[in-house]
Formats: sequence, C-alpha cells, structure tokens
Amino acid sequence: MSYMKTTLTGYAAYRGREGHWAFLLHRITGLGVVLFLAIHIVDTSFVYFAPQLYVDVINVYRSTIFGLGEIALVFCLFFHGVNGLRIAYLDLFAPKDWTIDKTRRSMLVALGISLVLWVPSAGWMLFNLLRHNYGLFGG
Amino acid sequence: MEIKLRVFRFNPEKDAKPHFDTFIMDVDPNDRVLDLLEYVKADFDSTLALRRSCAHGVCGSDAMRINGRNYLACKVLVKNLKSDTITVEPLLGLRVIKDLIVDMGPFFENFRSVLPYLINDDPLPADGRERLQSPEQRERFEDTTKCILCAACTTSCPSFWADERYVGPAAIVNAHRFIFDSRDTAAAKRLEILNQQIGVWRCRTAFNCTEACPRDIHITTAIAEVKKAINTGKLD
Repeated sequence: MSYMKTTLTGYAAYRGREGHWAFLLHRITGLGVVLFLAIHIVDTSFVYFAPQLYVDVINVYRSTIFGLGEIALVFCLFFHGVNGLRIAYLDLFAPKDWTIDKTRRSMLVALGISLVLWVPSAGWMLFNLLRHNYGLFGG
Repeated sequence: MEIKLRVFRFNPEKDAKPHFDTFIMDVDPNDRVLDLLEYVKADFDSTLALRRSCAHGVCGSDAMRINGRNYLACKVLVKNLKSDTITVEPLLGLRVIKDLIVDMGPFFENFRSVLPYLINDDPLPADGRERLQSPEQRERFEDTTKCILCAACTTSCPSFWADERYVGPAAIVNAHRFIFDSRDTAAAKRLEILNQQIGVWRCRTAFNCTEACPRDIHITTAIAEVKKAINTGKLD
C-alpha cells in the first residue's frame, strides 16, 4: 500500500478514541483555516492587481454559500485554537496528565469550549446572513 | 455463542490483492481471539499464517488489528469485543508478508536507531560489581521498561502510517528507558537522534499509541518528557 492509501485507511478505519478524533478534527479544521487563508491572500491581492475583480470577489463573499462557509470557518478557528492550547499545555507543562482518562476528558472539554464559543458567533452570523441575503428580521 | 470471524488473507505467491475469509464458529465468550485463529488453523484452513509464541501477553508477537484497533490477540477476550462479528487484519503501516504476518524490519530498524542499550564506558565501581541506583532513580524510567516491542503503538500512529522513517512511539519509549537511567551516559546522543523531524517532533499526540499499548505504558507522557528534555537540556 502507498503511504497515502495507508494514511487515509488509518484515518478513516482505525477505531481510535477521543485522541484520534481530536487529531482528525484538528487536521480538518487546520486545513479549513489554511484554505481560507490562501483564498483570502489571493482575493486581497486583487486590490492592487485587479481592483474591479476585488469588488466582484467581495460580492461572492456576500453570497449565502460563502456565508455558511464562514460560519464553518469560525468553528475551525475555535476548535483548532482551543485544541492546540490543550495539546501545548499537556505537552509542555503537564506531561504526566497524558493519561487515558484525562486525555479523553480534556478532548471533550476542548470540544465543549469550542462549541460554547462558536454557537453564539454562528447564531449572530446566521442572523446577519438571513437579514442581508433574504430580507428577514427587518433586513 | 456463534461468531462470524473475518480474517484478512493475502498470499503474494497466489493473490493479486488481499481478500477476507469468513468463518462461522461456536466459541466460548471467554475464548481469546488467538484461540479463534488457532481454531481456524486446526479445523478450517491450516494455511493461515500468523505470528504467536508465548500466547500470554509477554512476547508481543501476535499484535494485530482486531475490529479496527490494535491489540495482542492473546489478550483480547471475545466477550470484551461486544460484537458477534470479529474482523482480524494485520498491523497497518508495515508491508504484509502473508495473511497476518507483517515485515517488522522498518520497526526494528527504528528501534535500533535510538541506541536501545545501556552505554557506560566509565570504570566500574571500586568493588567491581554493580553500578548502584536509588529506588527513586529506578522509578524514573520504570514505566518504559515494560515495553515488549509488539509494535501495537507504532502501527496505530498516524505519523508512522504517513512515513515509516518516523522512529515511532516504541523506539521513543525505549530511548526514554535509557535516557532517564542514571547509570547511562549516552542521553545527549539519544536526544540528538530524536531531535529531528522524524524523531519526537513528528508526534502529533493522537494518543492511539497509549490506547493501544497492551502493557499500559504511558507512551505519550514518555514522548512529552523526551521533548521536554530536548527543549530544556535537563533530565529531571
């Protein structure tokens, strides 16, 4: 098996626990953030290279699909950040806490904190999306 | 109880690609998965290839993926899997030689790369006998002495799946065992070996290694302690 096939087989089929799920979610959210940053750097460069195109890009950003994408992006940022702090804390300051019980619990706590941060943000973004794109809530 | 046992089969001399053979058998809930594989060899198909030696969780030769997760086949009871279907596959990330047997070469190559033996060329103590150590000094590396080199940890690691040059959890555990041994004098050399991209820094703390270890070694802790020793230059 090629490395790529082995890796993807492991990602998808290995029945790990919370640590494995955290690793996968960290990867996916990291890729989400990198994808957004790449797009964002390109579109911002249009201000200099193609100002008219920049206006078009901003209109694309205002579309519903991009609005939903930005709501997902905010989750990516929160989870990647909170889980990154969890890993840094355990690895740098509390190696002895890398126990099965504490790792399982700390992953769920990191997910919980991410959701607590994300849900109000997502609600606010959704509210604005519905208001501006669909004229709801007095928009 | 009746069990459906699905076993990964691959004979490179005959098969173009792997397939699964299914065996229906009546087993005792207290049977181990290794017992089931022995039943297959005895009653169904004697060509099934697998490694086993002590069959009591000491030698570490029968590590394999059971229902998608690494275990020693001799340490898993059927009743603990909580399933009527049991799927047995070889360890992931190592080349399959035949059926459940994988090429352990890259694993042992990584193990050897961290100098997993006591290095001390200082003269012997005056009495010419042993180099003494306090209970606290011994306790410092007690946990990592338990490794049986079954490879359950290394082959559950996403970083190893992506690149078999990554030394892997087992090699780091065995390096830890000597790095923190007060009698050893080559800690700095081992830390230098592990302070590279395919050393400890490839660890992504996915924690599968610790979950898979049949000896309950705190592997991620050991890796973090080695990282800390590299960062601080201290072995406390």
